[in-house]
Amino acid sequence: MKKDLLASIGLLLIAAAYYAASTLIQQSTLEDLVGPTGLPTVLAALLAVIAVAIGARALMSAPAALTSAPTADAESHWTRAAGMLGIGCLYIPAADFLGYAPAIFLLLVAVMLYERMKPNWRMFVIAAGGAAFFYTLFDIVLGVRQPQGVLF
Amino acid sequence: MVTTPLIPAALGGLIWGIMGGAMPGISASIAMALLLPFTYTLEPMPAIVMLATCYIGAEYGGSIPAILIRTPGTNASAAVILDGYEMNRQGRPGEALGISLWSGVVGGLFGLTMLVMLTEPLSRLALLFKPTTYFGLGILGLSVIASLSSKSLLKGLAAAVLGLMVATIGTDPISGVSRFTFGSPDLLEGIAPLMVMVGLYAVTELMVRSGVTSTVMKPTGSIRVRLPRFSMMKKIARSQTVGCIIGTLEGLMPGAGGTIASFIAYNEAKRWSKNPEKFGLGSEEGVAAPETANNTVASTALIPLLSFGIPASNSAAVLLGGLLIHGLLPGPRLFEQNNDVVLGLYAGSFVADVSQVVIGSLILPLCVWLVNRPKPYRSAFIFALILSGVYTVHMSTFDLGIVLAAGLLGYFLKFFGLPFLPAVLGVVLGNLVESNYRRSLVLSDGDPSIFLEDPIAILFLTFAVLIVVASLLNEWRIAAKTRKAGVA
Repeated sequence: MKKDLLASIGLLLIAAAYYAASTLIQQSTLEDLVGPTGLPTVLAALLAVIAVAIGARALMSAPAALTSAPTADAESHWTRAAGMLGIGCLYIPAADFLGYAPAIFLLLVAVMLYERMKPNWRMFVIAAGGAAFFYTLFDIVLGVRQPQGVLF
Repeated sequence: MVTTPLIPAALGGLIWGIMGGAMPGISASIAMALLLPFTYTLEPMPAIVMLATCYIGAEYGGSIPAILIRTPGTNASAAVILDGYEMNRQGRPGEALGISLWSGVVGGLFGLTMLVMLTEPLSRLALLFKPTTYFGLGILGLSVIASLSSKSLLKGLAAAVLGLMVATIGTDPISGVSRFTFGSPDLLEGIAPLMVMVGLYAVTELMVRSGVTSTVMKPTGSIRVRLPRFSMMKKIARSQTVGCIIGTLEGLMPGAGGTIASFIAYNEAKRWSKNPEKFGLGSEEGVAAPETANNTVASTALIPLLSFGIPASNSAAVLLGGLLIHGLLPGPRLFEQNNDVVLGLYAGSFVADVSQVVIGSLILPLCVWLVNRPKPYRSAFIFALILSGVYTVHMSTFDLGIVLAAGLLGYFLKFFGLPFLPAVLGVVLGNLVESNYRRSLVLSDGDPSIFLEDPIAILFLTFAVLIVVASLLNEWRIAAKTRKAGVA
C-alpha cells in the first residue's frame, strides 16, 4: 500500500512539474485549434487523475493485493542502483576531459570496484584490455570517433 | 555506413542473441537494445536483419540457463524450467538442450511462414487509413498495451502517459514551436525512441542488478547438445503443433509476448498429451511446447509491427526503434519503398532459424564460459558497451545523459511496478497520435465529428474503450475477490 501511495505522489509531482513547464511554451502564429499546449495540458490532467486513482485504490485495497513481486529487486537495492547511475553520470565529464580510452578504462575499473571486486593487478589489466578493445571496435573497426577529451 | 552482407548479419545477430539470452537478466529486448546503437552504423537491411535474428537467438539462449541452472535467461524461457531442469537433474541436459534447439527451429520456421503470409496482406489495410484512422490506431495500440502489459490498468495507463509526455519534448509537429526544450538545441529534434529504449531496458537492468548476487552455471553431466532422433521428433510433434498455434495467436496479440505464450503452450500441451502425468517430471514434450511457442512469437510478434507499426512485445518495440533510426516507417509504404529490407528480414530470419541448430550447439561452451565470468566484469563491460554504443548514434555526449535519464525513469517505473512497454509505445506513438488528431481537426475546420465519419477509426476507438472498460471490470472483480478472501 505504501509503495502505491508513493507512486501516486510521485506521479502527481511529475504531472504538476510537467504542467508548470507546459505553461512556458510560447504561442505561435501558425497555431491550430488544439495548439502546442493542447496535448501537454491533457496529459498533465490525465496523469494527475490516474495518480489520484492509484492513491485512492491503495488506501481502499487490502495491503496484500498491492505488493508486487517483480519490484522486489528494485526496492531492496535502490541505493546501489543510484551509485551505478552516478558512475555513468561521471563518465560523461570524464570522457569530455580525458578522452574516450582513459575514460572508458576508468569506467570499467569503477564499475568493477563498485560491484565489490577486490582491487588486484588482474582487474586493471582486464580494464586496460577492455578499453583497448572498445577503442579498436569503435574508433578503428566501425570508424566512429568516440569523445575526444581536452587531454587526449 | 558499414555494408554488411545478409548472412553475416543474420549469424552475427543470432550469436549475439544466444549469448545475451543465456545471461540471466539479459532478456531478448535488452540484448537487442544493446545491439541497437551498433546497427546505426549499418545499412538498413542488415541492421534490421541483425536485430530480428538477435530476437530469435535470445529465445533459445534463454533456455540454456533455464535447463542447466534452473534460472531462465529470458522471461519467455521460464516455462522451460519445469521439465528442462528436471531432465538435467536426471542427467539428460544435452537431450533437453537438443529438444529446445529443435523446437526453436520448428517454432521459428512456422512463425516465419505466418509472418510472410500475413504481414503484407494486413499492411494493405493501412492504405485505407486517413489521419483519423491513424489517430484511432494509435489510441487502440496504447490502450491494448496499457491493459495487457500489467496486472493494473491504471499503472499501464500511467506508464503510457509518461511515454507520451516524453514524446512531446522537442519541436511541435504542427506549429513548429519548441516544447520542453528549456533552450537546449539538443532537444529541438525531440528524444529519439532509441535512447529511451536503451535506457529503459539496458541501463535500468544494470541498476537493478547492481545489488543482486551473481549466478554461476555449474551444470550436471555432459553439456553437449544432443539433437532429437526421428522417433523423438515424432513424439514431440504434437506439443510442437500446440506451441506453434499458441505462439501465432499470442504473437498477434499486442502485449501478450513469449512469456504468456510459453506458459499457455505448456498447459495446453499437457492437456493434449497422451502422457500428461509425465509433465513436470522431465517430459520431453514439456520442453518442446514452450520452446516452440516462444520461438514462434519471435516471428509472429513482428506481424502487427510491420503491418501497422504497433509492437506486440518489448523486443518488437526495440525492432521498431531499429526501423525508425533508419528512417523506415512500418506499414504498406515499407513494402513498396523498402521491399529489400522486408525481404532481407524474411531471408535473414530463415537463415537464423535453420542455422541455429549448428550455431546453438557450437556456441554452448562459450555461453557457459561467458555466464561464469565474475559479475563485476560483466556489468562493467555491459555499461561500457551501452555508453560507447549510444555515442555512435549522434556522436554527442548529450545522448549519454538522455540514456542515463531514461534509465532513471525505468528504475522509477520498475520500483513502483509500472510496465515498460506502454511507456515505450507512448514515446513511439506520441507524435503519430498528436499530429493525426490535430491534422484531422484542421481538415474539418475544428469539427470533431470528422472522427465519426471514418468507420475504421470508429472501430479502433470502440475497441480501445471496450478493452479499457473490460480491464477495469476485471481488476475490480479481482480486487473484490481479494477483499472477500481477506475478510474470510
